[in-house]
Amino acid sequence: MSTITTAQFKKGMFIEFKDVPHLITDMQFVNPGKGSAFVRTKLRSLKTGKVQEFTFKSGESAEELPINTREMQYLYKESDSYVFMDNFSYEQYNISEGLLEGFIKYLKPNDAYQVLVYGEEAVGIRFPKKVWLKVTEAEEGAKGNTASGATKTVVVETGAVITVPLFIKFGDVIGIDPETGTYLERG
Amino acid sequence: MKTWQMLNKNPQLWQRYFIREKVITAIRTFFFNRQFHEVETPLLIARPPAESYLDIFETTLLDRNRKPTKAYLSTSPEVPLKKLIVAGLGNCYALTKSFRNMETQSTLHNPEFTILEWYRVGADYRDIMEDCEELLVFINTYLKRTTPGEETKHPEELVYQDHHVNLASPWERLTIVEAFAKWAHIDFDNFLREPTARHIARKKGYSVEKKTTWEELYNQIFLNEIEPHLGKSRPTILYEFPGVMGALAKKKSSDLRFAERFEFYIEGLELGDCYSELTDWKEQKERFENELKEIKRLGKTMYDYDHNFIDALKIGLPACSGIAVGVDRLVMLFANAARIQDTLLFPADELFQ
Repeated sequence: MSTITTAQFKKGMFIEFKDVPHLITDMQFVNPGKGSAFVRTKLRSLKTGKVQEFTFKSGESAEELPINTREMQYLYKESDSYVFMDNFSYEQYNISEGLLEGFIKYLKPNDAYQVLVYGEEAVGIRFPKKVWLKVTEAEEGAKGNTASGATKTVVVETGAVITVPLFIKFGDVIGIDPETGTYLERG
Repeated sequence: MKTWQMLNKNPQLWQRYFIREKVITAIRTFFFNRQFHEVETPLLIARPPAESYLDIFETTLLDRNRKPTKAYLSTSPEVPLKKLIVAGLGNCYALTKSFRNMETQSTLHNPEFTILEWYRVGADYRDIMEDCEELLVFINTYLKRTTPGEETKHPEELVYQDHHVNLASPWERLTIVEAFAKWAHIDFDNFLREPTARHIARKKGYSVEKKTTWEELYNQIFLNEIEPHLGKSRPTILYEFPGVMGALAKKKSSDLRFAERFEFYIEGLELGDCYSELTDWKEQKERFENELKEIKRLGKTMYDYDHNFIDALKIGLPACSGIAVGVDRLVMLFANAARIQDTLLFPADELFQ
């Protein structure tokens, strides 16, 4: 553990808050009228998966938690958690639904992910910059519509709905930014 | 991707950005109908008012015949407007740009922003509350009338981020004392005493260190426990602030611990900050000097305050009240935008990426 101040806070960092490990899922500065600066955060409890807002005084300190990443393979869904396997030890870990945030719709069985581990518990995954997924439902782009920037929506193999350019067809493999859900390129 | 590139890809997005021109037209019509003068105030100034909680943009004015002079970007049109009121202008407003440094990494701030300030002569903060109620309904009505498909909708209602808001007057009015009692279960009379405030904050689990100030504890409790409840389904006017906040506000005559000041909130957006203006030049001078000491203590950019403003107060500022409204936040509200950046064609975080 190391002590940091709000100046070092970043989205995706893990801190101890009220004796419970939390993930910072969002942060921004607030300046109340006629007041000093504050840092408003959204914190996800690693115990309950619940998100709460808390506003820190600018410069306030907190304990940053040591989180390791391990490469694991995603296996299957089990009630409201997701089962991953460590590729070296073959040990299995469950990650609860709340801790996977918006990534669930991009999870593909047998693919490898960087899993975040705190102590002996898997507490989330590090979002890859890009995920490659196959288009499984797509309508033909309207003929003659060559206006630059025209778009349509398609469904990919994991069920996510993505807005893409008209030239994307059924069976294409496309790159998506999982952070924003935006189409990046065709494979 | 920059905003102009997104607009190029998705032309439907233009509709959100067109709300701004309508809001601005409505504001100007509202004040024209009430015979307020619109004036232009300088953006580049020599002496700002001393306000320790703001960070100022500093630049240099070059002149061939004299030494370079420090110059600053205006943080609000307040001081020039008050000078013009001293000069005899009467009811007036400015719809202009202001600049505040360090206001990045926030969905509610842009370092360059559009501000509306209006002043009523012979009025106090209660009159401005009524202006706010009328202005918001006026803008909303104008938007509904000029948007195809919205003409028949109720002129006092709007939807912001999936929440219905009714703008009909009177809005909810809560004093700071009432708000602290209602939402934070704090007796504000006790909280005004610093040692008690520190004790209360510590008991609530906030970190209280030696260097922690009363203002920090006040605002931290306000931001965590009170602000999230304000302006839900109808606007909230929060009024009578602790006197220590507001370098240019008049104290309440019946209780000097409080200032005649209010803010109004809609769905968590703080939209405006009003006070009955301080007209006593001696007190104003003393407050500016205290603010300068605070600026020095905080290690912020140092400057000298506008002494010419004190001269204006010596001649006599008539009793008046004024308010600053964040126009970009108003546009957020009416355009149903979650972030201030979504109302700006060139938000600062794109320019300085």
